[in-house]
Amino acid sequence: MLVKPGIAKAALVACLAALVVPAHAEDASWDAVVSAAKKEGKVVVYNMTLGAPYFKEVLKSFETKYGISVESLDLRASELAERIRTEQAAGRYLGDAEMISSTMIEEQLKNGDFIQKLPPIPNTANLRPPFKADDHSVPAFVQPMGILINTRLVKDEDVPRSWDDLTSPKWKGKILSDDMRPLGSGNAMFSILQKSMDADFNAKLAEQKPVFSRDMRNDARRVARGEYPIYIPQIFAFASDLKGLPVKIVIPKEGAPYARMDLAVLKNAPHPNAARLFIQHFLSVDSQLIYANAWMLPVVAGAAERADPEAQPFVNAKLIGPATLSERPSMMGLAKKLYP
Amino acid sequence: MSISAEDRADNLRAMPATPGLSWIGRLLQTTSAGRVVAVTFLVVLLTFLSVYPLSMLLYGSLHSTPPGMAGTFNLDGYLQIFTQQNAVTLLNTVGIAFAKTIPSLVLAVLLAWILARTDTPMRGTLEALITLPFFIPPILTAMAWGMLGNPQVGLLNQVYQWVTGSNTAPINVYSYGGVVWHMMQYSVPFLFLLIVDAFRAMDQSLEEAARMCGASRLRTFCTVTLQLMLPALTGAAILSFIRGIENFESPLFFGTPAGIRVITTDIYDSINQRSPPEYQYATAVSFVIMALLFLIVLLQWRILRGRSFQTVTGKGYSPTVMKLGRWRWVTFAFCLLFFFVTVILPVGQLLIGSFFKFFGFYQQDMLTLEHYRAVFGSGDFWRGFSNTMLLGFVGATLTMLLGGAVAYISVRTKWRGRRLIDAMAWLPWMMPGIVLGVGFLWGFALLPHAIPIYGTIWALLLAYISLGTPLSVRIMSSAYAQLSFDLEECSRVHGGSWLQTMGRIVIALAWPSFAVGWVLLFFGIMRELSASVLLYSVGSEVLSVVLLKLWANGNAEQVSVIGLIMMGMVILFRWVQLKVIKSRINAL
Repeated sequence: MLVKPGIAKAALVACLAALVVPAHAEDASWDAVVSAAKKEGKVVVYNMTLGAPYFKEVLKSFETKYGISVESLDLRASELAERIRTEQAAGRYLGDAEMISSTMIEEQLKNGDFIQKLPPIPNTANLRPPFKADDHSVPAFVQPMGILINTRLVKDEDVPRSWDDLTSPKWKGKILSDDMRPLGSGNAMFSILQKSMDADFNAKLAEQKPVFSRDMRNDARRVARGEYPIYIPQIFAFASDLKGLPVKIVIPKEGAPYARMDLAVLKNAPHPNAARLFIQHFLSVDSQLIYANAWMLPVVAGAAERADPEAQPFVNAKLIGPATLSERPSMMGLAKKLYP
Repeated sequence: MSISAEDRADNLRAMPATPGLSWIGRLLQTTSAGRVVAVTFLVVLLTFLSVYPLSMLLYGSLHSTPPGMAGTFNLDGYLQIFTQQNAVTLLNTVGIAFAKTIPSLVLAVLLAWILARTDTPMRGTLEALITLPFFIPPILTAMAWGMLGNPQVGLLNQVYQWVTGSNTAPINVYSYGGVVWHMMQYSVPFLFLLIVDAFRAMDQSLEEAARMCGASRLRTFCTVTLQLMLPALTGAAILSFIRGIENFESPLFFGTPAGIRVITTDIYDSINQRSPPEYQYATAVSFVIMALLFLIVLLQWRILRGRSFQTVTGKGYSPTVMKLGRWRWVTFAFCLLFFFVTVILPVGQLLIGSFFKFFGFYQQDMLTLEHYRAVFGSGDFWRGFSNTMLLGFVGATLTMLLGGAVAYISVRTKWRGRRLIDAMAWLPWMMPGIVLGVGFLWGFALLPHAIPIYGTIWALLLAYISLGTPLSVRIMSSAYAQLSFDLEECSRVHGGSWLQTMGRIVIALAWPSFAVGWVLLFFGIMRELSASVLLYSVGSEVLSVVLLKLWANGNAEQVSVIGLIMMGMVILFRWVQLKVIKSRINAL
C-alpha cells in the first residue's frame, strides 16, 4: 500500500525536530558555562612551557576573546609537581587548570586525587586520531623530537637521516645531548628508541660519548655557534625561532619520539568554569594553529592543514612512542647503567 | 613551636646573674621587662624564620615522603649518603671551596689594604668598580664566560689563536678551573666588602707602636694589622668557604658539562631530575652539610675566644693612609686590571650580545634593538621589577635591623642566651638554598589556613629575611667587635640614656657597615633564585624568576638587557652609598 505523501513528510519533520532538541539543549548548557566563567573573571594555569611565546599568544587570544584574565604559573616539571602536591596536601587551592605531560597526569592519578573528573568539553569532538580525551584529561599538543644539525659542520652526504646514523664513528664525542638519565626529554627519547630501535642501539649511542647538557633551549644556540655539529633530542618547536642561523632539524626516517602534553582541571579549582572554558579554547583550531606554526604537533583536526608551508613537515611528522610511566623505572635504571 | 619559644623566653627570664657579670650586663638584665619582651620577640622571630623551615626539612629527612603524604619514619635518606661516589662528590666540593676561598681571600686583603690604607689614586672610584662583580646575577656572568672561555668558539681562545697563529685553545671554562674562576668573580668582591671597613676603621697608632719598636713594615702588617683584622678575616673567610660549599650556579653551568659533581648539583639532581623527587635524600645530605659547616663556625669562635680586637676606642685617632710614592700607580693599575677582567670583559660580552639578534652571532645584518623593545614592553619584566624593588628595600632594611639586633646581643652583652640567638641567626646559611627553598615551601603551605603567607609576596619577604640574616649578623658583628666598651660607658657616665647611647655612639660608628650590608642584601635579594622559584606565585613574580624563564626559553639576549639594567642600578646605588659614607666620614 503506498504511504500517503503527507504522512511521510510529517514523519520526516518530526525526526528532524527530535534531532535538533538535544543539540539546542547542549548549546544552552555550554552558554551557561561561558557566563559562569566570565563571572569568575580569572583562570590560573599551571604549566611548564618556560615562557614559550606561542603559549603566551594563546593566553592573550583567550583574554581578548572572553575578557577573562589568565595567570600563568610556569615552572619546571619537578618543581610544578611538588608545588601542586604541597598545595593540595595543605588544602591551599590556588590553581585551576594544569598543562603537563600525560605521564605526569598518570602519576598524579596514581598517587592521589590531585585532579578532578573532567566535565564535557565540546571541542573534544574535534580531536583528530589517534588523540582522544579520557575521564580526567584531554590532549593539548604533542612535542616531537628530532636531530638538530649545524649545516656548516655537517656535509650533505653526512646528514644523519636515521637514528642509527648517530652511531657512526665520525660523530664520536661530537654529539651534544640532553641528559638521558634524569626525567626529561633525553630520557623520553632514550626510552622510546630502546623499544623502537635495535636492542643495542642505546648501548652503541653511549659509546659515542655524547656530551650532556640540561639547557635545551640554549643548546640549540650552541650548535648554531659551531660548538657541536649535532644535538639530540631537538624538540621541533625549540628551533622554530632560529631562522637565520645555520641549523636544521632532521626528522629521522624511523620517526620522531614524542611526549604528549595534556590539560586537566585541578581538584577544588577556585575558577572551575573558567578552567573548562580555557581548555575549550586551547582545543580550538585557531589556538592549535598557533602551536602548529611554532612546529608543535596539533591534536585537533584542521590545524595541521592550515599551518605555514615550512611547518608542514613538522606538524605531520611520523611519530614513535610515547614513553610510559610503567616503564620509567627500568628505563632510567638502564640509562644510568649506560651513562654512569 | 609557640610553646617551645615561650619556654625559651622563660629560661631567659629565669637566668640567674653570674658573679663577675659586667655592670652593663647587669643593668640590661635588671631594667624594665621591655628588654625581656624585646629578646623574646627576637627569639620567636628567629624561630619562625630559621628553625621552623629547618624543622620541616628535618621531618623530610626522616620521613619517607614529603610532609602531607602518608609514609614511614626511617633513616633511609642518611644511609644513602655513605657511598664511594658521594665521597668523591664531597672531595670535589671541599676542594673547589678551598681553591676558591684561599686565593679570593688573598686578593681581597690586598685590595682592601690598597684602597683603605694607602694613597692609591681614585680610591673611592676604584672601590665602587672592583665591587661591581658581586652584584651581577651569576646567570649573567655564566652566560658571558660561557662565551668568552668556550673551548670551541670562545672569544678569548679566538684572540689567542689570532695572536699566536696556533690551533690550540688554552682556555676551557667547562672544567674545575672554570668553576673556581666563576666562583671567584663573586667571592673576591664579597670578601672585600666584608673586610674593607674593618681596614678603614683601624687605629693606626697600633701599627705606629710596632714600627717604633723596630718592627719592619712586613712584620707590622703580619703581627698587628692582620691580627687586628682576625675577626673580620676569619668571619669573612668562613662565610666565603660556606658559600663555596653551597654554591650552585658555577658547578651547574661549568661543572656539569665536564662531569664534575658537587654536593649542590647532586642535591639538585635528586630533587629536580628524579621521579619521584628524592627529598629524603636531599634533605638528609643537607643536614649532614649543616653539621659539618657548624663545626667550622665553632672553630671560628674558638679562634677568637678570649681575645680582644677592639680598635675603635674613646681615645682620639685619625685614620691615615700609607704613602706609596711612585708605587701607588702600580697598585692603581692592579685594581684596574681586576676591574677589567671581572667587569669589563663579561659585561662587554653582555652589551655586545644584547644588540644582536642572536647572542654570540656578530654579523652586521643581525644588529637589532628588538631585545630592548621586548624587555621594556614586557609586563612580566615590569611586574618582576616592581616586586623586586619592594622586596629589596623592605627586605634589606628589615634584615639589617634584625641582624643588627642579633649582633648587638651576641657581641655587646653577656647574656647566656646570646649564643642561642647567634646560632639561630646563622642556621639558614648552613643549608643550601635549593633545599631551604623547599623547607619554606612546605613550612608556609602547612601553616594554619588563617595565616595567608603561602603564595603571596610575604612568603618571599620572609624567606629573603631568613636567608639574609646570617650576612647582616656577620657584618654588624664585625663592626661591633671593634668598638671598645668605654665608648658606651663614657656616654652613660655623662647621663646618656640607653637609646641615646645607641643612637649617638654605637649606631653612629657602625652605620657605614650597616650601609654596606644593606646594599649587599638588596642585591642579594634581587638575584636570589633558589627560594624564589619555589615560593613565588601568580602576582608575586620577581626579577630573578623572570631572568630564569627568559634564560630557559633561550632568550639570552633579553637576559643581557635586564642584566645591563641591573648593572646600571648597581652603579647608581654604590655611587650614592660611597658619597654618603665619604661625607659622613669627613664629618667625624
